[in-house]
Amino acid sequence: MTTLHVIAHSPFGDQRLASCLRLLGADDGLLLCGDATYALKAGSEPLQMLQAANLGPRLFALAEDLQARALDGTQVIAVDYPAFVELSLHYDKVNSWL
Amino acid sequence: MSTLTVGDRTIALDKDGFLLDLQDWSPEAAQALAAQEQISLTDEHWEILNVLREFYAQYQLSPATRPLIKYTALKLGADKGNSPHLNRLFNGTPAKLAAKLAGLPKPTNCI
Amino acid sequence: MAKSLLIISRQAPWSGPCAREALDVALAGGAFDLPLGMLFLDDGVFQLAAAQQPDALQQKNLAANLQALPMFGVEELFACAHSLARRGLADEALNLPVQVLDDAALKALIARFDQVVTL
Repeated sequence: MTTLHVIAHSPFGDQRLASCLRLLGADDGLLLCGDATYALKAGSEPLQMLQAANLGPRLFALAEDLQARALDGTQVIAVDYPAFVELSLHYDKVNSWL
Repeated sequence: MSTLTVGDRTIALDKDGFLLDLQDWSPEAAQALAAQEQISLTDEHWEILNVLREFYAQYQLSPATRPLIKYTALKLGADKGNSPHLNRLFNGTPAKLAAKLAGLPKPTNCI
Repeated sequence: MAKSLLIISRQAPWSGPCAREALDVALAGGAFDLPLGMLFLDDGVFQLAAAQQPDALQQKNLAANLQALPMFGVEELFACAHSLARRGLADEALNLPVQVLDDAALKALIARFDQVVTL
């Protein structure tokens, strides 16, 4: 079964993103929202980690959170809330990293 | 808050009749608590209360019904660790009532 | 058939409510006979350290409470090998009979359950 992993915490000073990337299955997706979108900051360590993971069309971020934080969304698929809901239905389950 | 009189001592209870301070428990307190529930404690009751106190000493929490049955079966055998037997002894709500009489906190995961 | 749930507990035991909340979800689900698994990940593996003595912290003894999981019917217990190794726990005796899994096995584990929540 496929899983959409959702992370909302900043990747700085926390293991959520690193652990999630280690446990991400080949058909799983990752959606970043809230402070987790700071992982997309140009030149940052987490962005390098994401690029190394090479998730391609399986990496998503909430558009409004990118916009609010002046982050570049070209490396991800930026989604609005309706698309977020669609994604959560597309995957068999959602794992929120609370 | 209510109280329970045991000999010449007065023991504080919470609104559900559980001991506020678990240190207040004694066999006499158990008998007084049981009397409030119209239960007269027999050897069959006592072996379950002792099992419960053992459970609490080991795990530091009060069991819900299912773990109570499982633990009792482990300690006393399947003829004691089953729900008809425990329901008969403790008015149909063994996890809650037996915990009360054994001086344990109210089980939080009680069905 | 009830849906199976994997609870991933990834916080250390004594500093915040998350480890307690993850355990409470497991105990409540177990009391309702749900098919449950519990995985200790990241700092969550510190919950498994032997000989913890939290009495002086005046908290409920989470380490003792964890031992009740099998009694509540939660017998599928797992720990992340990588998390244990990073924290110097790989070769130590743990306080629960967990299966230690590598990353590939963890991926398969998460895929197997109907629902997953990470606390």
